[in-house]
Order: sequence, then C-alpha cells, then structure tokens
Amino acid sequence: MVKRQHWPIHLALGIISALMLVPFYWVLKTSLTGENIFVYPPAILPQDPNPFYFVDVWYAIPFLRYLINSVIVSVIVVVANVFFNAMAGYALTRDFPGKAATIMLFLSCMMIPFQVTIIPAYLITAKLGLLNSYFGMALPLMSTIVCIFVFKAAFEAIPKSLVEAARIDGVPDWMIVFRIIMPLTKPAIATNIILAFIWSWNSFLWPLVVVRDVDMQTLPLGLSRFLSVVEDTTGALYAFCVMVLVPGLVIFLLAQKEFITGLTSGATKG
Amino acid sequence: MRWRWLRNRFVVTFGGAALLTAVWNVYIAYHDDGIIAGQVVGPDGAAVSGATVRLSEKTLLVSQTRGQTTTDADGRFEFKGHRMHRLYLEADKDGVGRYGPREYRLYFNGENLVLGKPLQLSAPGAS
Repeated sequence: MVKRQHWPIHLALGIISALMLVPFYWVLKTSLTGENIFVYPPAILPQDPNPFYFVDVWYAIPFLRYLINSVIVSVIVVVANVFFNAMAGYALTRDFPGKAATIMLFLSCMMIPFQVTIIPAYLITAKLGLLNSYFGMALPLMSTIVCIFVFKAAFEAIPKSLVEAARIDGVPDWMIVFRIIMPLTKPAIATNIILAFIWSWNSFLWPLVVVRDVDMQTLPLGLSRFLSVVEDTTGALYAFCVMVLVPGLVIFLLAQKEFITGLTSGATKG
Repeated sequence: MRWRWLRNRFVVTFGGAALLTAVWNVYIAYHDDGIIAGQVVGPDGAAVSGATVRLSEKTLLVSQTRGQTTTDADGRFEFKGHRMHRLYLEADKDGVGRYGPREYRLYFNGENLVLGKPLQLSAPGAS
C-alpha cells in the first residue's frame, strides 16, 4: 500500500486559509494603527499599534446600548428559531396530505429575496404594533426555511421506532419533539443557534426600516450612524468593525464542531 | 467531576470575559480621579516656575480649553477632575518658550496621568 503524502494538501490548504484571513488581518491591523488604507506601498506589519481607537469608539457612541439591543434581538431570534423550526421540521418528517407541495413551497420561498417582501413585512409588523420594538426587529427572522430543513434532516436520521414507541405510550407530539427527539439532535440545535445568531447579529436593512428611536438601534445601525457622524475615522471605524465582528466569531468558533456536524447531518445518509 | 462544568469552553470563554471586565472596572474605579500631573522644564532642562499649562479637548470642529494652571517653584503642575480620554497639553512662558499642544491618549475617561517626561519648552524661534 502506497503511503500518501499529506504535506502538499496541507500546504495548499494553509495558503488558501491565510489568503482568506488577510481581510480580517487588515481590518484588525488598521483598527490598531489607524493608518491610511490607501497608502502605497502598504505596511504589512502594524506600525506603532495601540488600542486607543477602541477607546474612541466606546466613548463616541452608546456602544453598550447598541450591544445590549443586538444581544436582546439575537436572543429572541435564536430562541424563536429553535422553537418554531423544531416544530416545523418535525411536521415535515410526518406524512400528511400536501406534504410534497409544502416542501416545494418552502424551497421556492427560499429563492425570494427579503428585499422583495420587506413592504408586506413592514405592514404586518405595523398592524401588530411591533414597530420600534425588539420583537418587531426579530419578527422576520423568527423562523428560517434553511434551519427548518436542518431540523428535518436531523429528525429523519433518528430511528422511527423511537417515535413510534413514544406514540404507543401516549406521549403527545410536542413532548416527542422537545423531550425525545431534540435531546438527540444537538448538532442541529447548535446549527440553528449559530445561523440565527449570525443572521440576526448582522441584520441591517430590517432594523433600519422598523427602528425609529436612536436608543433602539442595533450594532450595524450604530456602525452606519458612526460613519455619518464622525469624520477622520479610519482607525475608529475599523475598531468598531472588529467590536461588531468579535461576538459572532467567538460564538462560531466555540460551536463550530456542532455547527459542521449539524449542517452535514443527513447529507451523507444512505 | 462536580466542577467539570467549569472547564466547558463556553463557561471558560464567557466567564473569562466577565471576569476580565470585572477586574478592568475595579481598576478603573481606583484610577479615574482625573489627575494629570507633570513638570515643565525650559530648553536647558531646568524647571520653569510660573509657566502657564493649558489642558484642552478637541471636539469635532474646535479645540476647547478644559483647564489652565501655573507651575509652582519646582515647575510642577496638576489638574484634577478631568473626564477625557483624549486630551491636549500645552505650556508656555513669555521669554522662555512654548510646548505643544501635544496629544495624550488615555485608556478610559478620567484616567490618572502622571507624565514621565517633563513638558520641555522650546526656545522662541526654534522649530
């Protein structure tokens, strides 16, 4: 048996990874130096790095307020996603009339960009009296079709006999989902949490439409406001970008194992 | 086994961040009296008494003076109670010279700043 050399693959992967990390490195470097990003030739290593641009951002805008708003909206979105998507995913594993049509409808809805539905979404939110509120900001992201299919794939990987045994014992459907199936599909839950968190955390257009009060703004809106209010902000702007990016990156890095398992569960089945 | 949850990566990361934040806030609480202290020396390095030292803050458009004091017999000066994290110091004395304005960056509003290097006045006409 010929032993394969792995180092060329590792070298190639290392180079590609480094190339993909260059923009992140550049953002971090600029946030620490505040250097002119258009200067040529650019400095590869940071010259005289300091953390003072982060201090400027902290005091220039109500960063903590924006952070708390983003966290509240993200928590609502994450909890709602796990709850609603699990129920929808379970329903799609059962047989019912029109199941194929429902799945087709879901899949086709995925192709409609959010910008197209933003006016009806706004009108519905206004009718519900949720404009300028945390629930209003979270509403369109409370259930996402991709995550429903993640749950569906994970639930289908569980032996049917387990669910049937519970049914014979008279366990209601909601308890089957939340007490029996979900504890066995932790990667799918982690995937839902990460995707919902990242989408909510980075959401800009919808909060821009529904938020009227400055105190209700989230971090992406704060970033936009920061750009319009403060001049000469290369360093501070990049520092703000880093402060907005870090929570999402940390969540992803902490749960990446479950995230990848959740995304691929069911993909290699059969 | 009982304390195993403490080694969970989520607990370590978020708990560590919370701990660092708490430590940082304790540090701030003990170092935010807003004291700026230093010394003014002349072009020859000798202490300059009676020099005027101005503390200012640059807003979006203009520089605003936030304090002014005069050095004592040893050339020393002190400001108290500032609430800035980015400030400018300048000093001058007629017939001796001028210093600054020079920018000083702090880690938090009102951080105490004891200048390690004195403000050295440049002789009039010196670049």
